[in-house]
Amino acid sequence: MFPIRSLDQMVEHLRKSGKKKKIAVAYAQDPNTIGAIAKAIAEGFVEAVMIGDEQEIRSKAQEEGINPDIFTIVHIPNDAAATTEAVRMARADEVDVVMKGLVGTDKFLKAVLNKEHGLLPPKAVMSYVCALDLPKYDKLLFVSDTAVLPFPDLNQKIAMVNYSVKMAKKFGIEKPKVALISATEKPNAAFPSSIDDTIICKMADRGQIKDCIVDGPLDVFLACDPASVEIKGIPTPINGEADCLVFPSLEACNSFYKGLMLFAGGELGGLIQGTTKPVVVMSRSESEKSKFYCIALSVLMAD
Amino acid sequence: MITSLDQIIDVLKSNEKKRLVVAYANDSHTIGAVYDAIQHEIVDATLVGDRETIEKTCAEHNFDINKFTIVHEPNELKAAQKAVELINNGDGDMIMKGLVSTDKYMKAILNKEKGLMPPKAVLSHVTVMENSNYHKLLVVSDVAVIPQPDLNQKIALTNYVINVARALGIEKPKVALIAATEQVLPKMEACVDAAIISKMADRGQIKNAYVDGPLAIDVAIDKESAKIKKLDSMVAGDADCMVFPNIESGNVFYKVNTKLANAELGAMVVGAKCPAILSSRGDSVKTKLYSIALAALVASK
Repeated sequence: MFPIRSLDQMVEHLRKSGKKKKIAVAYAQDPNTIGAIAKAIAEGFVEAVMIGDEQEIRSKAQEEGINPDIFTIVHIPNDAAATTEAVRMARADEVDVVMKGLVGTDKFLKAVLNKEHGLLPPKAVMSYVCALDLPKYDKLLFVSDTAVLPFPDLNQKIAMVNYSVKMAKKFGIEKPKVALISATEKPNAAFPSSIDDTIICKMADRGQIKDCIVDGPLDVFLACDPASVEIKGIPTPINGEADCLVFPSLEACNSFYKGLMLFAGGELGGLIQGTTKPVVVMSRSESEKSKFYCIALSVLMAD
Repeated sequence: MITSLDQIIDVLKSNEKKRLVVAYANDSHTIGAVYDAIQHEIVDATLVGDRETIEKTCAEHNFDINKFTIVHEPNELKAAQKAVELINNGDGDMIMKGLVSTDKYMKAILNKEKGLMPPKAVLSHVTVMENSNYHKLLVVSDVAVIPQPDLNQKIALTNYVINVARALGIEKPKVALIAATEQVLPKMEACVDAAIISKMADRGQIKNAYVDGPLAIDVAIDKESAKIKKLDSMVAGDADCMVFPNIESGNVFYKVNTKLANAELGAMVVGAKCPAILSSRGDSVKTKLYSIALAALVASK
């Protein structure tokens, strides 16, 4: 089955592997989240602890035609307190994954990032990696950062490379090809991020970044289209077959993935990176299917 | 391919002779060096300076004055300006400093309207060294002119050493960008600039060479060190050229080589319209000859 080439193959892989992880959902009373979790339970790879207002959770589940007894429910009817409890459970190894429910992203991340009681080790870089499933690309594309770091500096970008590689490897890609994206393949001081790219490449050459093949700056064509590589005649070990794309800014990456969702029939699963355990954060407008893929991805990534 | 400094002289003997213009050739050191080059049949020379002094010096040292073209100009600065003018008029292929002070000589070369600098050109220095402990010549820069080259100047230096190496017949020279380590440590500017220049070469922004850096000197020139460190590099262990991150490291490298390892060298200032020789009194007779030869070789490319 390895390497996994689509999000459905990922689900299939989890189902067959028998891997099962426990997820704590912070303020779990929105129907979308309940539905996605119920589906993951039905597939057999998730146990869920739903933290929130018990009455609300039960009635929302029933409205969706879901038996609330498939969940362990912890009654904490306050969003911040529910989140704190979810994070505490992860720190105490009572659960393997933390997921955001109806709580606002700010409040949720505040608990995750809390220096004493949170899930981010000191000095760790928090970022976000998305696995994109695109009808016109014959494998998954891991992109970062769609959501957390506005303008990653060199150190943050190195962390993003390592996070992307770590995720791609979990999908069975032994030596992921990482393209550092820019508008052109020529390093140019007018684009400081293209300068950082050259540094990262040489660090990879020298073995300071491991387990991957890195090249950049590259534009998206040279990264993902072998025909463009041939036409331009740029020798690059990525050769139009990138597994991972690391973008110079959040706006660039965010627009890239949203454009593909909207116009190219893309699907995604994404996760916060840098935390000691997988953390699922999704916007409320995300589809149930995407939420389900994010849950599956968190199980795949969980140790 | 030329692998020793003496071979440069052999090659020049079969070429058409290049014309050397000497700025203020009023001393025996300068005239002697030029005369030596003429005796080796590698250049023709025009001496700009005070005719009487030149005649007297030649007589004292038994230099055959008929071997020179003499242009009479008794003023130091004007002699330098005249030498530059001769080059600009096509009456010479390379320029050499005589008794004129370095600042006056450079002033004449750097003059915006009447000098020898193309617009935006970077003036730098290239040394070619022969060390019996290394299997070929080493082309290094910058040991003498730019104290702390920035990225753009380092790119210029890289291109200069490539051009000189190619003049020596090395079709695709291997250029090592030197730092204290081959690891890319972002806090060390030498490492960062080297990484940038390497990638520019990968992308064809620097042509006709294999460029790799950062490389420590041991890894750049010693195959064994490169092997131990398991470096996957076209350049490591076999560099033709080295670009140093600053003048101190380059200067120390060349002086250690000449004083402790008996290396020989030829050197010149590059970046002007023609090679410029800046020999000093302290240079050996051989160094002066090799410098003139190197300039003539580069001028003929």
